[in-house]
Amino acid sequence: MLWLKDVWVVDPSQKLASAQSVLVKEGKILAISSSLTDEEVQFKVQGEAIETIDGQGKLLFPGLIDVHTHLREPGQEDKEDILSGSRAAVRGGFTTILAMANTQPVIDKRALAEFVRLQGERAGYAHVLPIGTVTKGMQGEELVEMADMKEGGVVAFSDDGKNIQNAEVMRLALEYVKLTGLPIISHCEDNYLAGDGLMRRGRASGRMGLKGIPASAESVIVARDLILTEETGGKLHLAHISTAESVELIRRAKARGVNVTAEVNPHHLIFCDEDIHLTDTALKVNPPLASQEDRAALIEGLQDGTIDMIATDHAPHTQAEKARPFAEAPFGIASLETALSAVYQYLVLTGKLSWERVIEAWSYSPAERFGLKGGTLKPGTPADMVLFDPGYKEVIEPSNLVSKARNTPFLGKTLQGFPVMVWVEGRLVQRNRMLL
Amino acid sequence: MKLQRKDVLGLEEMDVEEIRQILQTAKVMKGILMRPIKKLPTLKGKSVVNLFYEASTRTRTSFEMAAKVLGADTTSIAVAQSSVSKGESLYDTAKTIQAMRADLVILRHSSSGSASFLADILDAGVINAGDGQHEHPTQALLDIFTMEEKLGDLEGKNVVIVGDVLHSRVARSNVWGLRKLGVNVTLVGPPTLAPAEMGGLGVKLTHDLDSVLPGADVVMALRLQLERQKSGLFPSLREYSHLYGLTSERLKKTGKQSVVMHPGPMNRGVEISDEVADSAQALIERQVTNGVAIRMALIYLLIGGSANVVA
Ligand SMILES: [Zn+2]
Repeated sequence: MLWLKDVWVVDPSQKLASAQSVLVKEGKILAISSSLTDEEVQFKVQGEAIETIDGQGKLLFPGLIDVHTHLREPGQEDKEDILSGSRAAVRGGFTTILAMANTQPVIDKRALAEFVRLQGERAGYAHVLPIGTVTKGMQGEELVEMADMKEGGVVAFSDDGKNIQNAEVMRLALEYVKLTGLPIISHCEDNYLAGDGLMRRGRASGRMGLKGIPASAESVIVARDLILTEETGGKLHLAHISTAESVELIRRAKARGVNVTAEVNPHHLIFCDEDIHLTDTALKVNPPLASQEDRAALIEGLQDGTIDMIATDHAPHTQAEKARPFAEAPFGIASLETALSAVYQYLVLTGKLSWERVIEAWSYSPAERFGLKGGTLKPGTPADMVLFDPGYKEVIEPSNLVSKARNTPFLGKTLQGFPVMVWVEGRLVQRNRMLL
Repeated sequence: MKLQRKDVLGLEEMDVEEIRQILQTAKVMKGILMRPIKKLPTLKGKSVVNLFYEASTRTRTSFEMAAKVLGADTTSIAVAQSSVSKGESLYDTAKTIQAMRADLVILRHSSSGSASFLADILDAGVINAGDGQHEHPTQALLDIFTMEEKLGDLEGKNVVIVGDVLHSRVARSNVWGLRKLGVNVTLVGPPTLAPAEMGGLGVKLTHDLDSVLPGADVVMALRLQLERQKSGLFPSLREYSHLYGLTSERLKKTGKQSVVMHPGPMNRGVEISDEVADSAQALIERQVTNGVAIRMALIYLLIGGSANVVA
C-alpha cells in the first residue's frame, strides 16, 4: 500500500490539476481525493502496512506514453536495445513506449512482433509495445499480415524511416487496416523533394551550403495521406509533423471529420534551423529542424488540439556515427531521458504550454488513440505514475545517461525538472533518478 | 605578426583587419614569388600536409608550391572518396595526422563543415581548401587580392557573381569577404541555381544578368557543373549560355572596362566565351599567380612564428 500525500495531481482524464492524496494498492490506483483523512486511509487499508510519501512541491501524473521510439533491437544493438531503451524510458518519465518497426530485420511478421514484446517484458521496465511495418520488408509494395500481427500484439503499423511513395499502396493500406481498427502511422516525406538534403531548405541552409530539404517534402505527403484517409475511411496517425503547412492541412481535415491524429517532437518545439552549426550533428534530425515560423505554428497547433500528441522520435546512434562531418552523420536525436525536462523548461516554464496540455498530449491522448492501458489515474486503473520534481537539476552527461546513445543536443548542459519517482503497475522502477 | 587564430576555415568568421593583414602579407609574398630564385628558409623544418578528398590538381599544386617556396616540407594524402561511409573516416584520419605531429593541414573535402570538424580535433592548424558547398576562403582571398591589384580600394565597387551560386563555395566565401570590405555584391543565376534561400547571405539576388551589368566593376563567372543539367536544375547548356554566358557583347553593358574573373577550370563557350576568356579584361591567369601568393601568406601567418619574411 502506497499513500502519496499532498501532491499536485495533473490528470486530464479526470480534469484534475490540484492537490490530492493518492492511494495505490496491488498495482492499481485505489483512491484519489483532495480530502483523505488518516481515519479514512486506515479504514481503506484494513491493517496493511502503509508507505507514505510526502508529495509537497512535486507533481504526480499518469506515466507518459511515447508513441514513437526507435529501440534498434533486433539488429542494431550497438546503438540501443530494448533493455537500455526501456531503462532510458522510465528514467525520463515514460511508462509505455511504442517501438518503431524499422529494425534489422524489420518487424513485418507476427513472430518478430512477439519477440519485441517479450524482450520488453524480460527487461521489466516500461511497457514496450511493438509497431509493425505496413509493407513486407518495408519495401512499400505488399501489405503485411495485419490481422495476424495484431494478434501478436502490434498496436499500429508504420514504415517509419521510409515513406510509402506509391500512393496506391498507401490507399490499400488505409483500406485493409480497417480490419484491425489500428492506425497507420505515416512518416511523411517525398523522396524526390527530400533528395539527399541535410537540413530544412531556408536561409540557414543557403548560408552554410548544406543541401536543403524543402518544407513541401513533408507537406505534400501530409496532404496526400489526408485525402486518402478521407476517401477510404481508414485511421491515420501522422508522425513528427514539422511544418506550418502540415498543421494547417491537418486543421482543415479535422474540421471535415477526417479520422486523423498527429504528433510533434519536442526538438521541433524547442529548436529551429538557425540553431544548427556545421559541426553540431546532434541537431541533424529528420524531419529537419524547421523555421521559427514553423515552430510557432507547431506550438499553436499543439495548444489548440490540431496536433494531438507529443512524441520523442527517440533515435539513438553511436558516438562514432555522429562524430562525422555533417553530411555523413546519421539523422536523429536520442531524447527519452531529456525530452520531458526540456519540454518543461522550454515550454511549460515559459507559459507556452500548460501542464494539463502536456500530460494530455503525452499520456491521455496516446492511450485513447492507440487503445492502450494507462494515460489516467482513475481508481481501478494500473498505477503507471510519475512523481516530478520541478526543482531537480541535472547536468546531462554520459555518466548519468542509461541509454546507450549520447546524441542529444543537451549533452553537457543543465536541465531543470525531472521525474524523481516512477512506478509501473505500482512497482517503483526509478527513485531519485536511479533505476531500481 | 601571426594571425590570432589556429585555423583559416572561412571568411564568414574572419574580421576585416585579419583580411587586410592577409592581403598585405600576400603583396610581400608576391614580390618574393616574382624573384628569379624563390626559395626561403622561413619555414624550414615545418611540415604541411595536403589532405585532399576531392581531386583538384590546381588547388593542391598551388598550396604545395606556396609551402615549398617558404621552405616547408609537404606531404600529400589523396583519398579517393568513392563512398561516404566506406573507408577510414575523417575522424580516424585526423587522429592519425595528429599522431604524425604535422604543423599545418590543408583540407579539401566534399562535406560542408568538414574543415571545422578537422580543426576541432587537431592541435595543428587547418586551412580550408574547399569544404563542400560551404566555403573556399583561399579562393575568395585571391579573388579579392586580384581585384584590389587592379581596382585599388574596393569600397563602394560593384561586383557581380554569376552562375550556380547555390552550390558554390567560391560564391559564399567571396560574398563574406567582399561584404566586409564594403563592396556591393550581386548574385545572379537562374531561380533553380540562385534560389531565395541564398538571400541568407545578405546580398542582392537576381535572375536577370543583363539588368545588373551596368556599372559593374567586376564580373565573376562561376564554373557550371555540367551534371546539374541531369538533375533538372537547368534545361540546356545552350539556354544557360544564352542567358548567363559572358560574351564581349554582353560585357559592353557594364559601360566600363570591367574586370572579368573565373575560379577555373573554365567551360569555354558555356559560362564564358573564348573571346572574353582570352581578352585583356580577363584576369584569370593572374588569379592563379595570386593564388600562390595568398596561400604563402596564410601558411606564413599561421605557422611562421616571429620570423620576419621581409628581411
Ligand atoms: Zn519518421
